[in-house]
Amino acid sequence: MSADTVQSIIDDLGALLLFTMILIVAAGQIYRAIYAVAAQSLLIAIAGGVLAAATGNVDLWVIAAITLVVKATLLPWVLHWVVQRMNVRREIEPVIPIAGTLALSVLIVVVSFQVSASLGPVRQAITGNALPVGIALTLTGVLVMATRKTALTQMVGLFASENGIFFTAMAVSQGMPLIIEIGVILDVILAALVMTIMVLRVRSTVDADIADLDRLRG
Amino acid sequence: MIGDRSFGLVCLEMALLLLAGPLVTGTIQKIKARLQCRTGADLLQPYRDLAKLFRKDSVQADTASGFFRSIPVLVLAATVTAGALVPVIRVGPPALPLGDAILLLGLLALARFLTAIGALDAGGAFGGMGASREMTIAPLVEPVLMMVVFSTAVAAGTTELGALAAHRGTEWLLAWRAADFLGFAAMLMLLPAETGRIPVDNPDTHLELTMLHEGMLLEHSGPGLGCMLLASHTRQMVTLALVSALFFPAGPAGTGAASLLLGVGTSAAKILVLAIFLALVESSYAKLRLFRVPQYLGIGFVCALVALALRIL
Amino acid sequence: MTVGETLLWVLPLVPTVTAFAMLTTRDRRILSALDVGSSALLLALTLILAREVAASGPHALGVLRVDDLGLVFLVLLVILTFAVAIYTVGWLTQAVAVGNMQAKYLRSYFALVHLFVATMVVTILADNLGVLWIAMEGTTITSAVLIGYHGHHHGLEAAWKYIIVTTIGISFGLFGTVLIYAAAAATGVQGSAGTLSWSAMMPVASTLDPGIVRIGFIFVMIGYGTKAGLAPMHLWLPDAHSQAPTPVSALLSGVLIKCALLGIIRFQTIAAAACGAAFPTYVLLVFGLISVVVATPFILAQHDVKRLLGYHSVEHVGIVALGLGFGGPIGTYGALLHVVNHGVTKALAFFAAGKAIARYGSRDMRVIRGVLRVAPIGGTLLVLGALSLAGVPPFSIFISELMVLRAGIGLGHSVAIAIFLAMIVVIFAGLLHHAGGMAFGQPTAAASREPESWSPLVGMLLLAAIMVVLGLGIPASVDGLLRRATEIIVD
Repeated sequence: MSADTVQSIIDDLGALLLFTMILIVAAGQIYRAIYAVAAQSLLIAIAGGVLAAATGNVDLWVIAAITLVVKATLLPWVLHWVVQRMNVRREIEPVIPIAGTLALSVLIVVVSFQVSASLGPVRQAITGNALPVGIALTLTGVLVMATRKTALTQMVGLFASENGIFFTAMAVSQGMPLIIEIGVILDVILAALVMTIMVLRVRSTVDADIADLDRLRG
Repeated sequence: MIGDRSFGLVCLEMALLLLAGPLVTGTIQKIKARLQCRTGADLLQPYRDLAKLFRKDSVQADTASGFFRSIPVLVLAATVTAGALVPVIRVGPPALPLGDAILLLGLLALARFLTAIGALDAGGAFGGMGASREMTIAPLVEPVLMMVVFSTAVAAGTTELGALAAHRGTEWLLAWRAADFLGFAAMLMLLPAETGRIPVDNPDTHLELTMLHEGMLLEHSGPGLGCMLLASHTRQMVTLALVSALFFPAGPAGTGAASLLLGVGTSAAKILVLAIFLALVESSYAKLRLFRVPQYLGIGFVCALVALALRIL
Repeated sequence: MTVGETLLWVLPLVPTVTAFAMLTTRDRRILSALDVGSSALLLALTLILAREVAASGPHALGVLRVDDLGLVFLVLLVILTFAVAIYTVGWLTQAVAVGNMQAKYLRSYFALVHLFVATMVVTILADNLGVLWIAMEGTTITSAVLIGYHGHHHGLEAAWKYIIVTTIGISFGLFGTVLIYAAAAATGVQGSAGTLSWSAMMPVASTLDPGIVRIGFIFVMIGYGTKAGLAPMHLWLPDAHSQAPTPVSALLSGVLIKCALLGIIRFQTIAAAACGAAFPTYVLLVFGLISVVVATPFILAQHDVKRLLGYHSVEHVGIVALGLGFGGPIGTYGALLHVVNHGVTKALAFFAAGKAIARYGSRDMRVIRGVLRVAPIGGTLLVLGALSLAGVPPFSIFISELMVLRAGIGLGHSVAIAIFLAMIVVIFAGLLHHAGGMAFGQPTAAASREPESWSPLVGMLLLAAIMVVLGLGIPASVDGLLRRATEIIVD
């Protein structure tokens, strides 16, 4: 594959990633957000595969495979299981209206492109639009975490945010060292595990959503 | 921009859009029926409905003004004229300057506006309700359509649809850029709104709670209603043709009769695919509550805006 | 493999192995013995390592590396771990007695504390910036469980807030790391294996693209700054510090937020080389000033003693950031000294406050009255800790705050110094008011008057001794270590 083809494929995947991110922001129900984040991780895995085929870097294949198994399958499955098991509210409760979050996410996308357009030589090191898309995904994920009241939606935001970082990291020429990426994924899994346990624990003791507790103030 | 699509060809395309419109509606109805395990009405049923309506006498509300009678004709005229602006059989700018995508959207908006005015003019409660709902949705739909068109127009450097389609060339799918994916996604979200279908509107019902477009047609009858229905069929067709012109502008070159037939065949295939998509969406989703519609369209809005931003930045 | 290199992989292994060994027993005495023993071993090994480094310079092994800068933090970590282990012996007896800790879950508590320590050791020893991030996120995961350890829903609420806020923050840190990695990859100077290594990056740092490093450093600053408790990302800190078991609070405030500061320092050196010293200075000063200013009203209006100490940590992290921001040999030296001083003193304060809370059964400072009467030694230590935290001479914090001030004045940051001084004075008054109320006065009838147990006192006396010694005169070995660490940063 020529460098131009790879770049245009990465750009296209970036657009699809932004689309899944918009779906996550606009999702009114927890299931849709979970499916959207799973689709997003799948796209990340595809991006990894494309870059691996292009650069001949074996590490990237491994990373793509791990992403596929862990982030596109395992973590969404766990979230799905928790939703079913715990009978949590399926409606997403935003702190500010979803239309407002959508508007903010547009702002984030535009600013991300503006900022990375101002950078010169580094664009050679990062394939295509991966940098602005990565920044946009990361920030929008944080936006989702900050504007949702339920714990599981906050976790979806976290995964989306990590996806953005992964996308950029893959698109940096040669990708990050394998050992680092594996460590990062391991951390994400552990964090998800601990969060899930906390959610279940609070639900079983006080029957409330952990993100809704607000007794600690001042 | 003067090109090689002759006046005759443009007229032929316009006629095709007008005449095939009911057939597409019939096809969608048929697929829906099949998906719901019904036999469903014949493909040609919309034609029979139209023929019956045009034979009937027309009845008019006492409260309606004289303008009411001319509304169906004006709506149909605006919609059909819009049809002249979309390339169907062949891509490339037409031989005479007809107008561009902005005019097309303007004509569609004009038809929409006239429909709403007519519904208000008759003074019926349902008409007024339908009109107010339609006018709530319209300001959300039209800017998005504009932005989708512009996001492709920026790349082509023209808003003339034939030239725009030609600019994409024949390798349309391979040449798709990031913005096209988002624009296309926005377009797919808009399609049900623009054609008055689930999840935004329900074309099959006259229940007061759900209808938008149908509510505005209640006061029309006989040939007038026939014109209005024909206008909706054509509008749907124009919208589908617009989508394929913007995103799948493949068409054969050459001028012979064979290539002409091939052109008709490819555009029929593209429109059939989109029709199947609409039928699938209608069968698998429930209609949204009215105040959830803005949120749904908001997704399309954001996608289109990002697509435009990707093109410009 | 030299002694130094061997120690590099042995050091993280000691607490890890201890953690797994602890899972095999339920006996509290064995657990406590393992706890103290392992911490003492860690302390001894670190001192050997410190001597090696002083004698023959930095050692590196794979992704791990130790230099004088890391040693400052490592020594602080092992001393506090040792003090915490001693303190825990007596604290645990009391906590189990009142039912705050359940005897059958003790082993997992101890194991988690040691895993927490192990992740912090890796954070400090990491040379590879990716490993630094991974270990940092590891500290989040282990300490989040510890914060919610009591299991009541205040604890879980604090733990959730902690894990969500710091994980968001640390994602920013990873993004910043990726950006700086991209900048390093773009120079193409090194092979791909070495591009995330701090020691390999430093010699070429001045050739990195300043634009991307600038954005990367801001991301890192927000990311590691969240973990360090810099305002306005400090939201998790008072909750977590107040809800965690007391020994964990001491570790969080004493070491964890300092580890995050070490991360910031590593990136600061890169950023200073790539885009000039003015840029990181500016960012650090802004965050430092915001922290000092934001913490002040909360300190004044606080009634919960552990939250008070939490907000006070925000202020002191802000002071360290100011010291690093002012820069120069004096400012940097002062900042590093302040890291050590604040770590030791804050741990002491948490210990003393924890004992007082246990005695009165409340964290409300309006209830805790007359500690000096019911517990003369513990009360004295509480007063000493509070005085030191407020910045009273001759305690150590006074010295380091003075150095930070001196650096700021010397380099002409008059506005920053004015704000800083005003806040320091207000906090001084507020803290003395709170401490005076707690120490003197008539104790309520509910206060327990049982004699003080020895082990918490030993832990506290150890820290108090360090605090006083560092205040009266810095020993030559510590001074040498700090000077060499300062040279690494200032260059």
